[in-house]
Amino acid sequence: MKVTVDLDKCQDHGQCAIAAPEVFRINDEGRLEFDDAPAEELRDAVEEAADVCPVQAILIED
Amino acid sequence: MYFDIADPSFSVQSEQVRKARDENWYAETNYGVAVLRYEETRLLLRHPKLRQGSARWPAHHGITSGPFADWWANWVLNKEGEEHHRLRRLMNPAFSRRLIDGLVPRFQALAAELVDGFAEPGRCEFMSEFASPYAARVIAIMLGLPEEEWPVLARDSATIGLAMGVTLREDLPRIEAALDSLYGYVDEAVDRRRSDPRDDFVTRIMRAQRDEDRLTATELRDSLVLLIFGGYDTTRNQLGLAMQTFLDHPDQWRLLAERPDLGPAAVEEVMRVNPTVTWVTREALEDFTFQGLDIAAGTTLHLFTEASGTDPRAVPDGRFDITAERPPHFGFGGGAHHCLGHFVARSDMSEALPLLARRMRDPRPGGPSRWLPRSGNTGPIELPVAFTPAE
Repeated sequence: MKVTVDLDKCQDHGQCAIAAPEVFRINDEGRLEFDDAPAEELRDAVEEAADVCPVQAILIED
Repeated sequence: MYFDIADPSFSVQSEQVRKARDENWYAETNYGVAVLRYEETRLLLRHPKLRQGSARWPAHHGITSGPFADWWANWVLNKEGEEHHRLRRLMNPAFSRRLIDGLVPRFQALAAELVDGFAEPGRCEFMSEFASPYAARVIAIMLGLPEEEWPVLARDSATIGLAMGVTLREDLPRIEAALDSLYGYVDEAVDRRRSDPRDDFVTRIMRAQRDEDRLTATELRDSLVLLIFGGYDTTRNQLGLAMQTFLDHPDQWRLLAERPDLGPAAVEEVMRVNPTVTWVTREALEDFTFQGLDIAAGTTLHLFTEASGTDPRAVPDGRFDITAERPPHFGFGGGAHHCLGHFVARSDMSEALPLLARRMRDPRPGGPSRWLPRSGNTGPIELPVAFTPAE
């Protein structure tokens, strides 16, 4: 699974980090960090994160 | 600069606020610090040293037990950290955009039905004939309950809204009666879907599960009542504020009638310049310094959404323009507590506004309007509008 985030859109709300903390996190500076190639068993959580993003900035490829 | 924000005549849109924003990014108030500029609001909305600011509101009024205090304490908005994240994870899927997209035809039919039903041709009292029934019936649609019961939802939500006011303690018996009535309403919604599950909002939130975890029966009821309360009044007021803004910008209204695809952009632009939630509150968890200002633990910050959204540093042209590229507004808050129901609100208002623009040509004030204070959660109480009817 390949994950991309449109960083022009991303507002660092951190809803993805709530939905899938294994893959997304908000660092101490308040900025998003994420794993762009998470393990397949995290797919449900990553899809949840993409769904819940207020600005719909997360894309899951294959 | 100092603002008395508890004064009912204080306006977040006043010249005084504009002037203060020119001078500095913040102003002192009788309830802590008001934040006035775009960039500072953006950063503070999701600042790790701040929590959501309303958790202790009932306690400030001496209310520490009973049904209202219990309900308030269970709001997802009033939780922090893992407790908050758990609730949010469980509730979010029911609010997914895909599920809301399926309701669009119902929103369109509802808007058309309400305009068809205006008592007189060429004029309406916009709040009672459109904004209130539209907002309340959208919630009835979400909950799968008969739409004709909408006046109960509207009445009880408005009564619970008294809890946001400074007379909370005197109003408590009425507030708790309204709360009891809404619990009855959501219990009926849950009972219906227990015996007749569907691919809908209530079924989803009832079945919400993450690993082995689920919402308890209490969490489910409390959350559904919060959804009614949080979704009704804000949507109603925001629609009224949208109408007010377009009354001042007839060219933009005509454009929206011609180009219904601008509905979503119109919602964003209205919420940038005329948001119903005029401030978002935060509370400092510990002492910290931000942009040279020392903020002590326990300080309340009011992030002024309209002053920030119209900050010339972020939007230099100062126009209301539904075709312009704009930076994101703060009308839905932000960070971990970003409005849970924003896809619903965005979707239902995006459908309503272009339809209204098409059906209500050349709108103009149809008589004196009445308004809530321009602070806290604001909007019209009554907004008579005269217009040229069109099909």
